Amino acid sequence: MQIIIVTPDGELYNEEVDQVVVSSKTNGDYGILKDHMPIISTIDTGYIKLERAELVYYVVIINGVVQNHNNVISVIAQDAFIGNTKEQAFANLNEIREARVEENKKRNLELAKAERELKKQIKQTGAGNV
Amino acid sequence: MAALREIKNRIEATRKTSQITKAMNMVSASKLRKTERKYRSFQPIKQKVKSILEDVLASNLELRHPLLAPRDIKKTGYILVTSDRGLAGPYNNNIIKHFEQVVKERHTSKTEYIVGTIGYKGFTHCRRKRHELINSESIGSRDEFHFIDFQAMSRAFIDLYLQGGLDKIIIIYSHFVNTLIQEVREEVFLPVTDLTRSTGERCFEFLFEPDPESVMDELLPIYLENTLYGIILDAKTSEHASRMTAMRNATDNASEVIRKQTLTFNRARQAEITKELTDIIGGANAVT
Repeated sequence: MQIIIVTPDGELYNEEVDQVVVSSKTNGDYGILKDHMPIISTIDTGYIKLERAELVYYVVIINGVVQNHNNVISVIAQDAFIGNTKEQAFANLNEIREARVEENKKRNLELAKAERELKKQIKQTGAGNV
Repeated sequence: MAALREIKNRIEATRKTSQITKAMNMVSASKLRKTERKYRSFQPIKQKVKSILEDVLASNLELRHPLLAPRDIKKTGYILVTSDRGLAGPYNNNIIKHFEQVVKERHTSKTEYIVGTIGYKGFTHCRRKRHELINSESIGSRDEFHFIDFQAMSRAFIDLYLQGGLDKIIIIYSHFVNTLIQEVREEVFLPVTDLTRSTGERCFEFLFEPDPESVMDELLPIYLENTLYGIILDAKTSEHASRMTAMRNATDNASEVIRKQTLTFNRARQAEITKELTDIIGGANAVT
């Protein structure tokens, strides 16, 4: 059974797995084993647990779609992060997202400030009237 | 001499400006390549979401969703995709001009529409013109952007649409044709009309978790955000292309100005020398 996880930044994960558990905050959990019926479900905030032999990975998903068809599970997510435990992956992803929002705010402020400053300078020096 | 020095200063200034514009041209060229690659690699994802959505629709023919049904238009939403920075040739101006024209043609009062902007330029324009805005602060269109940057805005639009506050949402953006040509385009964001309910051999029996309606409720916003993301990528590509062209033109113009000024400079220098020579000869003639 193959699983492909893609985000807008590219393919995050493309491997063979034995078992997958899809967990979503609103819908609860369900597992997918080999030869599962074709299924479509969505994840608003949740995770996918990937199991292969002894290895277990968690991929935290924000806004994603899961489609299983012919033993190929395709997951399309807007934001995803892979980790050894779900808590760790969640914490990492949230950190990244929060930092991003903060940074955007800061940039907006700085841009507005810089532009005001620039306009003032242009006025003072009379640049542009050659 | 004063005139000479003035010309020389101007040549120097122009040369420095042309250096900057040349650097900007090269930066835009490399960013253009990067964004274009991103744009192309995003297309399969968008297609995939669309095909999943079509699968859902195909296996549930009687499924109806408010986001899919057109209704009478009382209030329209516009999303303007502009850039944060200027010096991109006519890029922002074209979009804003098109938007103003559309508003003038289709609406009689400012209460008939609401605007959401992506990019600082569009935001300041709409604030100045006092259009009703959905976002209270500018949503940056940075060179590397993520879903999270504009998610709040797209969700706000979708919610407003679902509540009935809006009946149609149109995105105005600049479509990338090639490096020289970018055209302003309008795309209907909501209601979603470009999905085909294909009945026939493509129709697999899918299970839905928990049920088709809930999947639809989740999937449609994702699809819409993907569409918006694709459009912003497209717009970003054309921004870089536009800036690249503008900067190349500026560099060409600068070298033209430098050529002309150098000619004037040489002429003035020659005139100066001739004048001095005639002075000396005149003086020598007077002595003998």
